[in-house]
Amino acid sequence: MNERHSIVEIWVYLSGSPLLALLITLAAYQLGLFLYQQSKQNALVNPVAIAVILVASFIQLIEMPYSTYFEGAQFIHFLLGSATVSLAIPIYRGLSSLHQRWGPLLISLMIGGLTSILSAVGIAKLFGADQTIIGALFPKSVTAPIAMGIAERIGVSPTLTAIFAVLTGILGAILAPSILNLLGMKNWWQRGFTIGIAAHGIGTSRAFSVNQEAGAYASLAMGLHGIIGAILIPILYHLMNR
Amino acid sequence: MVAGLVQILLFQGLGELISKLLLPTLPGPVIGLVILLIWLIVRKEISPALLLVSNGFSQYFGLLFVPAATGVVLFLPQIKAHAWAIILALVGSVVLTIIASALALKLMTKEELINSERLSNE
Repeated sequence: MNERHSIVEIWVYLSGSPLLALLITLAAYQLGLFLYQQSKQNALVNPVAIAVILVASFIQLIEMPYSTYFEGAQFIHFLLGSATVSLAIPIYRGLSSLHQRWGPLLISLMIGGLTSILSAVGIAKLFGADQTIIGALFPKSVTAPIAMGIAERIGVSPTLTAIFAVLTGILGAILAPSILNLLGMKNWWQRGFTIGIAAHGIGTSRAFSVNQEAGAYASLAMGLHGIIGAILIPILYHLMNR
Repeated sequence: MVAGLVQILLFQGLGELISKLLLPTLPGPVIGLVILLIWLIVRKEISPALLLVSNGFSQYFGLLFVPAATGVVLFLPQIKAHAWAIILALVGSVVLTIIASALALKLMTKEELINSERLSNE
């Protein structure tokens, strides 16, 4: 009886402190990374998706409200802003490989970004999705940390945006190689840049694992898309939701 | 490591400040990113401390959005109700985005490709 009592006490202590939330988040991500490496880095075995499924199932199992979980895990969440700032370094490195390609790169980035928003919003509307979901689709083609920042500013759910962004990255990383082959895109820098526009972080790490030049262009595209998206997506959102 | 983190936090803080005072539509970290980028372009080099922090972040980037993404538990009924719309929107959008940006890039850099092919054939 006494022993049981102390276990309850420990549990009460644990579930009230940030320790449990931090522990399950890190452990779930660690397991996700392990499975990802075991699968020879298959894009379908995405560590973020695995970690989210594990953490979500776990907190539902122990009936921990999401707000309690987030209170503990916010220490990890806070670093998102700092990580966003540190994206300047890969962009800076990508800039040196630009040669005289500024014009075509920026134009295709704008065309790609616009296509991504209009097609996602259009299809979702066509199939009757509600406003919460449609709103969260606007920033989804931008790298997740910036997408969530944009979502906060335009007043849509950062959570849904993060989910859509991660799914977009997974889908893009899986589909891009065959689409690019069908289109006859042979240059590594073109393939990389396209993947960076459409599939941000997940596509970029994939591009790096195939070819260094493709990776550099992918991270450049991802970074520029993030910056330009942060400026233009709020404007587009307000124009389309007046 | 600490020196690099201090720099990142300073740029982030500066970004937040500018966002609050001047540019409320832009997230603070994005402004911090742009200022740091300009700083790097002006200095023409990346300090080793900054590089260390950036490598650390890029390795575990995914971990950082797990807490927010776990909020999906709050949206489960909505996602289930609109599952098809979401799936079709995400798949359709990513396919069209790849096609549109790839074709744009291909059309605009045709001449350069012909030139570079000629160079590599010579």
